[in-house]
Amino acid sequence: MFGTLFWKECKQVLKSMVYYLYVAVFVLFLSSQLGSEMTDGMEQPVPGQDYYGTTVTHDPSAVMASTLASLVSETGWNSYATYPMGFIRSVTLNETELAEIKGIIEDCTGKSWEELVQEEEEHFSGYDQGTMEGAINAQVRYEVVPKETLGYEEFCAYMEKASEIIGAGSSYSKESLGRGVSVPMTYEQAAEEFEALCSKDRVTGATARLFCDYAGIILSVLPIFLGVTRCLRDKRAKVAQVVFAHEASSGQILGSRYLASLSMAFLPVLVTAFVMQMPYQYHAKTIGVTPDVLAFLKYTCIWLLPEVMAVLAISFLITEVTENVISIFVQVFWAVGSLFAASGLRGDFGLQLICRWNTLGSTNAFWGQRAEFLLNRGFYAGLAVLAFALTIVIYGKKRREGETIYGKIFKHRK
Amino acid sequence: MEKYLSIGNSFFRRQYAPHLLVTLLFCCLSGFFVSFRNLNGEQAAKVMEMYAAFTGILLLVPLFMPEQNRELWLLEKSKATPLWSVYCIRLLAATAALALVVTVFLQLMEQGNSQFDGRALWVGSFCEIFFLGSIGFFVSGVTNQAVLGYMVSVVYFFANIGGSQYLGDFALFQMMKGDYGFAAPMAGAAVVLVAGGIWLREQLAAK
Repeated sequence: MFGTLFWKECKQVLKSMVYYLYVAVFVLFLSSQLGSEMTDGMEQPVPGQDYYGTTVTHDPSAVMASTLASLVSETGWNSYATYPMGFIRSVTLNETELAEIKGIIEDCTGKSWEELVQEEEEHFSGYDQGTMEGAINAQVRYEVVPKETLGYEEFCAYMEKASEIIGAGSSYSKESLGRGVSVPMTYEQAAEEFEALCSKDRVTGATARLFCDYAGIILSVLPIFLGVTRCLRDKRAKVAQVVFAHEASSGQILGSRYLASLSMAFLPVLVTAFVMQMPYQYHAKTIGVTPDVLAFLKYTCIWLLPEVMAVLAISFLITEVTENVISIFVQVFWAVGSLFAASGLRGDFGLQLICRWNTLGSTNAFWGQRAEFLLNRGFYAGLAVLAFALTIVIYGKKRREGETIYGKIFKHRK
Repeated sequence: MEKYLSIGNSFFRRQYAPHLLVTLLFCCLSGFFVSFRNLNGEQAAKVMEMYAAFTGILLLVPLFMPEQNRELWLLEKSKATPLWSVYCIRLLAATAALALVVTVFLQLMEQGNSQFDGRALWVGSFCEIFFLGSIGFFVSGVTNQAVLGYMVSVVYFFANIGGSQYLGDFALFQMMKGDYGFAAPMAGAAVVLVAGGIWLREQLAAK
């Protein structure tokens, strides 16, 4: 019974125009984001290079210098990134508030605002801002050294004051400072990182993470449409009552639908991942590393499958409850919010729907955050199971009532 | 006139109310996600292009939803009032709601002591938001699937985050860069899309 229903559902998905649009958008998005130039970042570092990438540090002096640099830059633009509800919100201050922030900076550095602006201009003019590497290099190397007498506790108190002026969720709160700051890597650190790329990631692991980073963005949105389309199809085709009367249980009917939608949604992900790994396997061999040929499979299943499961299950749940397209608004809003909620493009997984690791490598840093990452993905797998179980309960109730929840229950109560 | 008012009223009460409510909720929640205080021209444009833009999708895409069931087309065709005029009434109502939303957002920013060219931002925002919604309107009209309409509009929005350089005058987020020259071509394209959507739907209904 279940197998027959499952295949029928798969065929239904294949007849849907939404599915072909899903596949086309997914493949186009991934192929536009992942190019062959990725292999440029896999070269063994040599002493004397200008830039080796960045690493995160919690060293108080580095945190102070980097945080002050960020505060000077944001004050110069009068645009501060805050995350009051977990989503990014740019804040612009009025003249009085801006003067207070400048006062805090001057107290921390012992220099006038004009001096600091001049130093900033001099620093950035020393780099080629026209290239991505030059711009990043200039940004990560920009530091504003605090005055010698300023202790870390006093600095934190100043930042807390700045945070109060800017508003909730600013980058200068105590929690934010506790996450550390990005600093340029030394040659030794870069060599160690390259070693980890070859031994732990075996090259393909790093490229798989980058694939999952981009795929995760688009997969937070696309499966919503598959879920909504499938759930509304019975109503649209006016066969809901016929299906309600079917001998199969609610679990079998919805289980086959959900698994078919999940399989069909995940199939293009697996195929694209498999095709895209080919050049990197070859590249690994050219630099003398035995590639991990299953890396793309492992990463997509752990990174992307829970996300697709959760997005689909929640779209099933909301659509079965409301019997309209409201799930699209709710979930697209959630996805966009999650995309802009990350404080950076690497790590800080928390309970974000979209896990970001927009860098090739940083293997040791990723392995350091692996527990947090797995917890995040486990949460979404659990959420998917819970949402799906709730959907079965609601669908079962609809079958018993003989009509929809959204409509009939209210009518019965009259 | 009374007939058209009755058509519009019935649509609002029976079909459009949930969509208007979602739009209202979206506007009420805006304070949690965007700041309206002390913005300059580019920052004000960012609020309109990155946040308010979604109201175009919310308001314009569901306009064909009442006739998703094709059997209703026959019923409505048998009536004296042509279908295209029914669609036009809905479109007019949605456009008025959109104009109101744009005005409210701009008013909130002005009250927050923001400095921007109100007229240019209103026209640019209205054209851009209307254009984004008209894409979904066209697709849902031609395919008779509102979900596809929403999908294409949302995908277009996302495509502009990384690929706006390939879309010329039809690229979103141009006001954030200080460019307002897109308004006329985008408004023209939006008119073509809504007119094309209604016309093609009429052709489909005639079959």
